[in-house]
Amino acid sequence: MAIQGAEQTILRDPALFYWILFPISIVMILTGILRHYATVLMNTPPKSPSTLAESRERLALLRGVNLRNNACSVLDRESFEMRKNYMVTGFRNGAFLKDPNNRGQPPANPMTDPAGMEAMMGMLKGNMMMMIPQTLIMSWINAFFSGFVILKLPFPLTIRFKSMLQSGVMTRDLDVQWVSSLSWYFLNLMGLQSVFGFILGSDNAANQMAQQMGMANPAAMVNPLQPGQDPDKLYLNEAENLEVMEHFCILDGVEERILQNFAPTGI
Amino acid sequence: MAGPVADIREISGSDLISALHLAQQAPAILGQESGSGFTSNSSETADYYARLEQLLLACLRTGDDQSAHTCLNRLSLRFGPSNERIMGLRGLYEEATAKDQSALEKCLQEYDNTLSQNPVNVPILKRRVALLRSLNRPSDAISGLIQLLDAIPTDAEAWCELADLYQSQGLGPQAIFSLEEALLIAPNSWNIHSRLGELLYICASDGDASRLLGRSVQHFSRSIELCDDYLRGFYGLTLASTRMLDNDYAGVSGQLPKKTLERLKAFALVKLGEIVESPSIDDQHWASSRSELIAAKELLNRQ
Repeated sequence: MAIQGAEQTILRDPALFYWILFPISIVMILTGILRHYATVLMNTPPKSPSTLAESRERLALLRGVNLRNNACSVLDRESFEMRKNYMVTGFRNGAFLKDPNNRGQPPANPMTDPAGMEAMMGMLKGNMMMMIPQTLIMSWINAFFSGFVILKLPFPLTIRFKSMLQSGVMTRDLDVQWVSSLSWYFLNLMGLQSVFGFILGSDNAANQMAQQMGMANPAAMVNPLQPGQDPDKLYLNEAENLEVMEHFCILDGVEERILQNFAPTGI
Repeated sequence: MAGPVADIREISGSDLISALHLAQQAPAILGQESGSGFTSNSSETADYYARLEQLLLACLRTGDDQSAHTCLNRLSLRFGPSNERIMGLRGLYEEATAKDQSALEKCLQEYDNTLSQNPVNVPILKRRVALLRSLNRPSDAISGLIQLLDAIPTDAEAWCELADLYQSQGLGPQAIFSLEEALLIAPNSWNIHSRLGELLYICASDGDASRLLGRSVQHFSRSIELCDDYLRGFYGLTLASTRMLDNDYAGVSGQLPKKTLERLKAFALVKLGEIVESPSIDDQHWASSRSELIAAKELLNRQ
């Protein structure tokens, strides 16, 4: 155990700062930027539906959700019941499905379905973008800088931080204030988000252009269905949600409400 | 740079005067931006292209086809001619510069061709409906729009257009249904609320007038609740409550008591008076709704 009250001193070569601390930070920042641009470059926009029926299959669910969420602020009882019945029957019959004949069959294997394959490739690419540079840098740091103590924090910390700040240094008695090179890497990995935010604008700054042109019709772009998910199951679920809905309407009594809230006294 | 940006923000409304102002600045904007457009950072260029699009629309409205063509070329240079939105804008340009009926028919043919390649090209689908409407074929436009909405039922803009088309054909209940759908997508838009109120008021001449008028009053009230100085909302509230009082619908089966209606009417009139008299009335901001103001003044004089 470190002696309480006594300051531990370790004689560090000042070159440690220039040759370890500095390079690690720089490399981390540069890889972060590189990764951002690589992601932007490899990012494929979500695939828009290719037929009208496919688009309907995607958006019918949103329509149900919209009805469920917003009916209370628009519809009176009669039109609500009418719409509810229509949506529930449609969901139950599979009227909104892309091909109603395939209903009830198990969903296509995502491995053989080209659309599912594409989505999975997208995910894989994203993950790779994170994994590969991290593995490389970590092994680089392990090979060159393992075991160095490079930094002393100016404030005391409890013993719990030891595993976080001193990975790679197996000294039990070392005070928690000292930071090892491997830990410095981890701190950078977790803590550079705001630096990237500063350098790259906001996180999605480079994506903005693509989004803007997509905005012509944002409604058509949304896809609530994940690849490999069976829309029929989601529909049945939504139908159940709609069925249990109680109707109420915030338009009831709105006249008194505005008179009370906005009208000057004396009217 | 700051000047044109500020101006464009202001003309979001659809009045001709500010569109004209903007279109007159076209040479300045187009000339000045040609050098610096690509070097500035990405958010600025995103802004720049949004402005180009607005400029294109303003130029087309005011007959400056030359500048419109330049805008269109710049946009398609950046986003490629196969971008759906660019295709829509190009279609708009072709329609606007079409000389005669046959040229418009050719545009329609073009749209059908495009759609046979990609049936979910939303901007083109919408242009097709608009073109059918301007060719005076409303029933075709309606069926086209229904087809579009069947595939994309979450598009509030299209529902509003459908309501407008239905109303122009005198199909009130269908128009009301369409506007309700639009409201389900955007439940807090006060302008659609008051539009629905207007429709209900218009349809109330036949059938169960008292119920429709009651709903009309509710929707006008809701639009006022969402936006407290909304001129159209107050105007409609005045008309609807007056008509309910005149026809003695007050107190009929679940309707508002007479006293509340009278208070509503008085409140709406007071507010209308305040808005019409308010010192900010001559602002640029009101330029786009001058006709509404005149109607409100006229209503106040009549009372």
